[in-house]
Amino acid sequence: MADLDTVARESTSHDGGAVDFRAREHHEFLVASRQALESANLQLALARLGDTLGQRNRDAYAAYAGSAAMRELARGIKDRTLAELDQHLEALEASVRRNGGEVHYAADAADARAIVLELLKRRGCRSVVKSKSMTTEEIHLNPALQAAGIETVESDFGEYIIQLAGQRPSHLVAPAVHLTVGEVAEVLSRHAPEPLPADATALAQFARGQLRAKFAAADAGITGANFAVAETGTVVVVENEGNARFTTTLPRVHIAIAGIEKVIPRLADLPVFLKILARAATGQTMSIYTSLLSGPRRAGQANGPEEFHLVLLDNGRTRILEGPLRESLFCIRCGACLNACPVYRAVGGHAYGGVYAGPIGAVLTPLYDGLTQNEHLPHASSLCGACQAACPVKIAIPELLIKLRDRLHEAQHGSGMLESLAYRTWGVLLRSALGYRVATWLASRALGRSQASSRWLRWLPGALGGWTSSRDFPAPARERFRDWWRREGDRAPATPPRGLDSGGRA
Amino acid sequence: MNRDVFLKRVRTAAAAGRSYRVTTNDRVERAAGYVGGGPDPIARFAEQATAAGGQVDVVDDPAAGVARLLQICAQHSARECIAWDHPLVDRWSVRAALAERGISVASAGVLPGEDAATRRRRLLSADVGVTSVGFAAAETGSLAMIDDGGCDTVASLLPPVHVALVSHEQVVADLFDLFDALESRKSADWPSSVVFITGPSKTGDVELKLTTGVHGPKHWHVIVSRS
Ligand code: SF4
Repeated sequence: MADLDTVARESTSHDGGAVDFRAREHHEFLVASRQALESANLQLALARLGDTLGQRNRDAYAAYAGSAAMRELARGIKDRTLAELDQHLEALEASVRRNGGEVHYAADAADARAIVLELLKRRGCRSVVKSKSMTTEEIHLNPALQAAGIETVESDFGEYIIQLAGQRPSHLVAPAVHLTVGEVAEVLSRHAPEPLPADATALAQFARGQLRAKFAAADAGITGANFAVAETGTVVVVENEGNARFTTTLPRVHIAIAGIEKVIPRLADLPVFLKILARAATGQTMSIYTSLLSGPRRAGQANGPEEFHLVLLDNGRTRILEGPLRESLFCIRCGACLNACPVYRAVGGHAYGGVYAGPIGAVLTPLYDGLTQNEHLPHASSLCGACQAACPVKIAIPELLIKLRDRLHEAQHGSGMLESLAYRTWGVLLRSALGYRVATWLASRALGRSQASSRWLRWLPGALGGWTSSRDFPAPARERFRDWWRREGDRAPATPPRGLDSGGRA
Repeated sequence: MNRDVFLKRVRTAAAAGRSYRVTTNDRVERAAGYVGGGPDPIARFAEQATAAGGQVDVVDDPAAGVARLLQICAQHSARECIAWDHPLVDRWSVRAALAERGISVASAGVLPGEDAATRRRRLLSADVGVTSVGFAAAETGSLAMIDDGGCDTVASLLPPVHVALVSHEQVVADLFDLFDALESRKSADWPSSVVFITGPSKTGDVELKLTTGVHGPKHWHVIVSRS
């Protein structure tokens, strides 16, 4: 966790100086992560998360012999679908229409908010219930609805808590994971006739009662979509509580908001994803409720919305689609990479500053909200690869982070003269046998011998000092391998004497 | 935003993105992910649904199934039930059996002359929802509820207790088989709502402690008849 050490130390120095955090929107990773490290409650919650959800994910993959194959298949489906995304969107639109629903296209967040507000206004909807949706977080829908005088209630228990607490979700599938039961009781008690006990079941019962009344009265239900099946015009919503079922069954209007990358071509593709989604998210074989919603209620049906609208959102996705970070669009928002990530488990979701947290958030937030504004996020990873190992669609998150680091470096320093000179010299030395020999001889004599006792450099000059400000740099060996070989090679097999290799201290 | 402009942008981006396609192993077959129901799919269903938090009874015939349903109703001191209008519910003579115990049974659909508010109140006050299923998948212990006329999704959602009656021929082995079965419905009369249910309503939102019955039913019973 070298990177984390860096940020933790840097944040200390920032603290002392006057840094205007309001000047930049996503300033806070350094400070927020340090605060997170100091919060005992949060550390407890995060440890619990890794031990339960993270462990259950690993167990579930292990218990399902087909998991590797299905993850590969799912990844292939995503890749192929994105290659022809326009066609699949057109097919989706045709199917939704056939089912009696409407499709709307939103280029960005403002566009999406305007579409939703217009729809609600046209249908005279004054109250809205929502089920958990990261996409609506992404477009900042709730404040817009409230500003328009529309009562908006989050119905997922965790989201409901978060909404009443006036916070943002800190985890993809467990939005309130950063709060203790005592804190939750305090938040909910503000809306109860009498103080509620710090007991998870009692608190859930309280929320159930409050929310049932909201469901019964709401004019419209707004959801995201885990998948959108082009062939049948079906929006798929996966959940454990049943609140999404209420949201899509009782109100007379259902509006689903989905990123364009959520489309899958065929109904037969869906079971491939269902077989891995819940296993990745919570270790369940299946989530409790998987709703396949295809348009408004049909003639002869007593339930379901009278109107169905699907809002397809771009909001930067086409920009990602056309470039080298395209793979990030495979994400099915399961949260497994968060639970697996040592950095996330140390600093929690809020430190990332964006809507999406954890490893995938470190990729998405810079892409959506600006790279230089979120310069710390691509570095908020040890590149250990635990995220990729957990990911149900095997997204190469470490590679994507490295690409972002490159891009960031380019944006912040351009290709610096000094640096390119250094690399060119390096290249020349490495390409010529003589140059290489002289360079390594010099390094071993000058640096290797003088540092032979510790074998670590604690300080490097100039721009190189960035490395040693937070960790040591391995000193070159005091004797080159070629020298040792010339002397000892005949007596092989032998073990090289200690101190010849320069690596080792992790 | 204008639809055509939007889609054109997607088309251009998708085309440009093709040079960044990832390599995947295209020889992987769906069969590699097939789990199936084992030698006894009904037993596998029971095992999986139980693991998901359900209470499952496998019985020899419908009569035993109805007897079990009556027990469950008694356990929960049920006075009012809502039930599907479904061939299996009729075949098992569920309504008569419940009525005999003094438990009222109403349709989950719209009763003649009933307005929306009255119906909603009626549904919300029911103690038990009695349904059948479209299919049951042994692999995962899931029930597939297909909302056709008469098979209202609310019956498995609003009451605190949901009892699903399943006959052996409704059990399919794998999730893949379940989707194959749904395929045939795809063309003409694709239903507006299909819901897979795998357990009682659950949340782990506070300190990851599992709590049941947060929105949907707290008690999830499945009665499977082998004949
Ligand atoms: S990147 Fe992968 S592991 Fe992380 S949330 Fe997305 S799908 Fe899940």
